[in-house]
Amino acid sequence: MFNFVAKFLKLLNGDASPGQISLGFAFALFVGLTPFFSLHNLIILFLVFVIRVNLGAFFLGSAVFALIAFLTDPLSISVGESLLANPELSSMWTELYQSDVWRAFKFNHTLLLGSVVIATVLFIPTIIISRIIISVYRERLMKWFEKLKIGKMLKASKLYKAYERLGASS
Amino acid sequence: MMKWIRWSGLAGFIVVVALIITLWLFALGPLMKMAIEKYGSEAVGAQVNVEDISLGFNPLSLTITGVQVADKDAPMENVVSFDTAVATLETFPLLLGHVIIPDVTLSGVAMGTARAYSGELDVVEEKETAESTTDQDAEITVSEAENQDDSESQVLPSADDILEREKLLTSIYGEELEESYKLHKTNIDKAVANIPTEQALKNYETELNRILTGKFKSLDDFKQRKKEFDALNTKFKKDKQAVAEITLAINEGKSDLSQKWSKLKGAPKQDFNNLKGKYTLDGAGVGNLTALLFGDEMGDYAATALDYYEKVRPLLVDDEGKDEIQAIKDQRLDGRFVQFDTDRPLPDFWIKTLTFTLTLPEVPKGSGSMGDIAINVQDITHQQDVINAPMRLWGTGQNLKDIKSLELTGVLDHRASPSKDVFNLDIQAWQLNNLKLGLVGLKLLNSTTSVKANATFSNGQMDVVGNGLFEQAKFDSKDRTFVAKEMVAALKNIDKFTVSGSAKGELTSPSVSLKSDLDKQLNTAFNKRIKQRQAELEVELKQKLNDKLLAYGGDYTEQLKELNLTEGSLKEKGKALEKLGKTELASYEAQLKAEADAEKARAKAKLDAKKAEEKAKIDAEKARAKAKLEAEKARAKAKAKAEEDKKKKELEEKAKAKLKKLFG
Repeated sequence: MFNFVAKFLKLLNGDASPGQISLGFAFALFVGLTPFFSLHNLIILFLVFVIRVNLGAFFLGSAVFALIAFLTDPLSISVGESLLANPELSSMWTELYQSDVWRAFKFNHTLLLGSVVIATVLFIPTIIISRIIISVYRERLMKWFEKLKIGKMLKASKLYKAYERLGASS
Repeated sequence: MMKWIRWSGLAGFIVVVALIITLWLFALGPLMKMAIEKYGSEAVGAQVNVEDISLGFNPLSLTITGVQVADKDAPMENVVSFDTAVATLETFPLLLGHVIIPDVTLSGVAMGTARAYSGELDVVEEKETAESTTDQDAEITVSEAENQDDSESQVLPSADDILEREKLLTSIYGEELEESYKLHKTNIDKAVANIPTEQALKNYETELNRILTGKFKSLDDFKQRKKEFDALNTKFKKDKQAVAEITLAINEGKSDLSQKWSKLKGAPKQDFNNLKGKYTLDGAGVGNLTALLFGDEMGDYAATALDYYEKVRPLLVDDEGKDEIQAIKDQRLDGRFVQFDTDRPLPDFWIKTLTFTLTLPEVPKGSGSMGDIAINVQDITHQQDVINAPMRLWGTGQNLKDIKSLELTGVLDHRASPSKDVFNLDIQAWQLNNLKLGLVGLKLLNSTTSVKANATFSNGQMDVVGNGLFEQAKFDSKDRTFVAKEMVAALKNIDKFTVSGSAKGELTSPSVSLKSDLDKQLNTAFNKRIKQRQAELEVELKQKLNDKLLAYGGDYTEQLKELNLTEGSLKEKGKALEKLGKTELASYEAQLKAEADAEKARAKAKLDAKKAEEKAKIDAEKARAKAKLEAEKARAKAKAKAEEDKKKKELEEKAKAKLKKLFG
């Protein structure tokens, strides 16, 4: 747990670009919220490896969103059910169903479709919000936090040592 | 833009993915072998063995060799086995985890082959298939016994066969009686161990004599003896109680055995009536004749076909498993797949076409195979709802011997519940030669036969109907008995007849019937002989049932005798205990009583003497008083008399004076 928080602090306090970190978080939405062994996640992994996305943010975000997924699964299933059962969309789904490629993505699975839709909807807001938060933190809160008594306490703590170790090793 | 691309990441990704695909392709063969053996074994309840699976890549194909599916009821045999199966695979679905096989060709297919080792699984579930087969055989009436040989021209089974085959009340009640006796005997034997032995009784007597012989020397001696006597008395009471209990147990045992014996005595009569009703082949039961002639053979083939259907069915469809998996998925919030209409459905496993050739059985047995049947099965999958098509099969006769044509079709529809499986069989111009019939050594020498049958299985129920048309039929019998001659003579004029059979009801215990217009034609010729044989059988049955009763009866008499002996011994012991208790108690009490009586006598004598003295005193007093009273009385009487005399004199004086006045 300490390592986890330390990683997060290192990420925030490091020199990685906020854009790469926020993009890593945004891509992590897909891997974390949707069923892992799916074809779309192969594409996400491809993009994450090929584009200069912060991998630390991506893996950290994946772990966090995978935990959140336990709470969002019922919502994802109901979203998927309502979309797949929607008569107005029926012809589109039927058309997609005729394609091996689309079927390979298992779009007709309620949980998968629902979670992908939720991840897609949250993708841009996650980029924007996480970027703003990181920027604000770095500009204003990072120095203030370090000055705070609690910040000093943290520096002296096991947590900070773990953070330092990470910094030294990287 | 290029600054956003991480080239090392791209290379790493390609390398990792290529590595995974390569490993997967190499592992596919062994994984499939493992999967087929594991899931196949679970599905059939016996070992499924695969010798080897190899992959071909252009086109993607799979060659499976040496497949054996063991028979769970006979683990040293295979239900089905084949040498090779060559299957082409659709590549793209396979990458997505769907095994879609457009075409499978099996070669060297055989049924019922012997195995080199047992095909039994570690955990074997027992099924009651044997029971159902037995029931079925029984339904096809009296068949087994008659079919054995031609030497004894029996219309009905022998009494021994019937007694062997049927569950007799005589046997059931007889066994109950024996069981009951064993139970009571065990209980009584246990109780007998608690009662005193002869030696123990003698010891009691000696002990009592010692306690009660001679006079009590002192109060302490009396108290000591009394204590010992009381202790012995407690033992007596306990032993008497034990004897009473065992007596009760024996009485209960005798009563129970007596009731069971009464039931057993009535059983042979009930058995006889039941058997008589069941094995009556009179005019009303003449429908059984067809079953006698054809039932056994047909019953065997039907049972085999049904057996194979039951074994193969779970491989094709798994309705219950499907429901269970769906239920579990719903529970785990895993979501579900929504299926849409498509020309190219994608179930998890799907064999689009399976072709193989199977050797037909021998009819009649020993005459060599009737030929081959080329089977083509389409759409084998456990997800018929995904492909939205039932499984279909076609069988066409090939290299047929003595058959013009043979067609078999089947549709196994498990898309909706309840599922429905339909099979049709059509055999044209089947030249039947030397078909041994199950009666009086009869043979169907030759006949041109057409068979049409259809079977429907749904919701655990079956409905099978079959019709056979026998033309240019010629019969003969090597038997020279009365019945055989009568039968052959009657059949000589019959050129054409039909046989129709049906099996309806529960899959495991269908009600089977066979009918034929042959029955009517043979009825008259047959009735006479049947009645005669029936009478003989009845006499024989009665005799055999009585023998059985006597066997149990003999045991019962012996058992009763043993119980009575035990009871007699107990009575003697009980009496001895009673006598001992009473006798010794009487001796002790007599001593006390004698002492009390002597004391009483002494007191009485004393009292009597006192009473006599007092009485003498009283009598003397009384005598004195009486004498005084009598003296007083005498004095009073003398005084009264003197006064009376004086009065009388005065009155005489007065009277004389008056008279003197009057006359004077």
